[in-house]
Amino acid sequence: MKNGLFIFVGAFATLALSWAGVVLTAHNQLGGLTQYKDPVDDALYPQPLSGLANQGRLVYQDLGCVSCHTQQVRREGFGSDVGEHSRKWGQRQSVARDYIGEGSVLIGTNRIGPDLRNVGTRYQDAEYFYKLLYAPETKFAGVPMAPGMPAHKFLFEVRPVGSVQASHQAIKTLPDGTEVVPTRRAQALVAYLLSLKDTYEYPEAKPFVESAEKKEGH
Amino acid sequence: MNSPDNSRLHPAAARDRSEQQEIDASAKWPVIVFFGSAILWLLIGGALQLVASIQLHTPAFLADCEWFTHGRVAPAAQNALVYGWGMNAGFAFTLWLMARLSAAALRSGGWLFVAATFWNLGVALGIAGILTGYSTSYELLEMPRFVSLLLLGSYLLIGVWAVTTFSIRNTEQVFASQWYILGAAFWFPWLYLVARLLLSTSPVGGVVQAIVNVWYVNGVLNLWFAPLALAAAYYFLPKILGKPIYDYYVAVIGFWWFAICSAFAGGARLIGGPVPAWVATLGGVASMLVIAAVVIIGVNLLGTLSGNFAKAQKSATLRFILLSIVGFFLASLLNFALSIRSFAEIAQFTFISELRDWLLLYACFSTAMFGAAYFFLPRVTGKVWRAPVLISAHYASTALGILALVAGLFAAGWQQGQMLNDANVLFPAITQTLIPWLTFRSVALMLLSIGHVAFLINFVWIACPINSQSTAAATIENPPELEAHKA
Repeated sequence: MKNGLFIFVGAFATLALSWAGVVLTAHNQLGGLTQYKDPVDDALYPQPLSGLANQGRLVYQDLGCVSCHTQQVRREGFGSDVGEHSRKWGQRQSVARDYIGEGSVLIGTNRIGPDLRNVGTRYQDAEYFYKLLYAPETKFAGVPMAPGMPAHKFLFEVRPVGSVQASHQAIKTLPDGTEVVPTRRAQALVAYLLSLKDTYEYPEAKPFVESAEKKEGH
Repeated sequence: MNSPDNSRLHPAAARDRSEQQEIDASAKWPVIVFFGSAILWLLIGGALQLVASIQLHTPAFLADCEWFTHGRVAPAAQNALVYGWGMNAGFAFTLWLMARLSAAALRSGGWLFVAATFWNLGVALGIAGILTGYSTSYELLEMPRFVSLLLLGSYLLIGVWAVTTFSIRNTEQVFASQWYILGAAFWFPWLYLVARLLLSTSPVGGVVQAIVNVWYVNGVLNLWFAPLALAAAYYFLPKILGKPIYDYYVAVIGFWWFAICSAFAGGARLIGGPVPAWVATLGGVASMLVIAAVVIIGVNLLGTLSGNFAKAQKSATLRFILLSIVGFFLASLLNFALSIRSFAEIAQFTFISELRDWLLLYACFSTAMFGAAYFFLPRVTGKVWRAPVLISAHYASTALGILALVAGLFAAGWQQGQMLNDANVLFPAITQTLIPWLTFRSVALMLLSIGHVAFLINFVWIACPINSQSTAAATIENPPELEAHKA
């Protein structure tokens, strides 16, 4: 090869082809996905996040939760995400339609911590998440929470207890007359985590028959 | 540069050599500025990486400081290493090698310094942005949106000089290293621009974002970092051994095959993900096909090396280049393995997938840049390395650190994956089991950092203008003349 132009054009064509073949094709196929209208109750799924949960999504993004947590449930029979003898990280695999309403899609690449796509179905108690964020190394209802997770104490405010009684939001009162109260960001983040539940069964999310047969074989 | 070999060369060769010295000297300040900033970022990124690594086995470490929470430190470290160390080092190497191979002096005026300033400003602002909470959380694109123009603008300013130097070349042939450099120089800005446009400026919807993200991550690793490492291997092996590339005529097939397959391989990272199955399948097929290119490249490089191994071990540059070649093979192999479904079922989402990217960025690319620097810094400054013992220390810590991290991360990841797939193992138990491995990882990273410090000391000695005398014995001999590269 002696010709610089040839290298240039070839390099351009290579990348343009892969862009067209991967990104553009995927966009053509998935970019038009819309909410699914339930034939029975006429509701649209997935439902959009509430305002507070959407703010929480931004907190999730700025704290880099995606460094350790995925938000994608693999299909039954591939890993141990869903199914009978599994971690029960959801009722079904994640599908493209689950993500269409999200401003930034952070499906993640690391499972240093558990998958969070359906964490809102596993724990429905905001108090659990506050305690988890404040002191993950402790126990909740006698069960260890997440000893490997860093605490996020900066999402909480320590302030003197008011004259009469502790705030209803306080997750903890300390002996020196102060209480630990979640900040607005913590509230938003917890609202977001509670909202994470893909429970609606889209037609495309029905499990493959093949994987059911495979299970019997085991 | 007073080369002791000059006297032994015949007059024409001596004239060529003095021309080459002029060309090397023309690249002096750009190379020192880019490589100096690269080493600083290497130390900063290494320190951040160590913090993030310690946090995995000691979660309380710096946890109460919001700026240093693990979710921010980890991407900050990765960005410092990719854009701070990797790109700056790549610029220094590219500009120098392009000038040399084109037999044309680097005439950039002051523009390269302007570009270097803005590039490093962009990286610094981007990392500060990640630490202070403006991360986008897209892998390798975590830097806040506003730095994209700074980075892209300075990149173009740098790329222009590499391409200009190429276009005024005084050579007939275009050598393999130049293909890889030109390819990389063209690919990065397109990848970056498209990814930024489709993720930040006018975001695509839903999981297409994830597809764009893996397309970019795979692209920047395999179409920027890998080509530069290969350019170094293709240049230094024949240069220092004094022997043309073995079976050079297949190199061109290897180049195009590698480029085309690598460009399509990104989708394999989404195996089992919420994307259409063809995305992962196409990526997987491409990751397998790329092995053919790796074999061709292997024939070229190992064929050149065969019978000369002892000779190669005598050169500091080639010792690092050999590490780089091994790193390249391992990275390709792991990439291939991770595109096989049954392997991905266990290894995906574990430290093994982290190992894949680290292998390419560090074991393949960074070692190539270390090796290259041991060759070009004495030549552009006209001085010799002052402390050969520090070179040995750097090499020893790099080789040991790489060995430890490859073995450690693979073993840890495999165990992690098996436990993740066994629903009977509770999550806290996985964390507990991995702690010894993660501690081991921190120790290995410290070992690498020791090498970086040794490298920095030597760099300061050779780059500092005050130190005008060369005191130690030259560690790199003048390479034999190289003839007959036919494209």
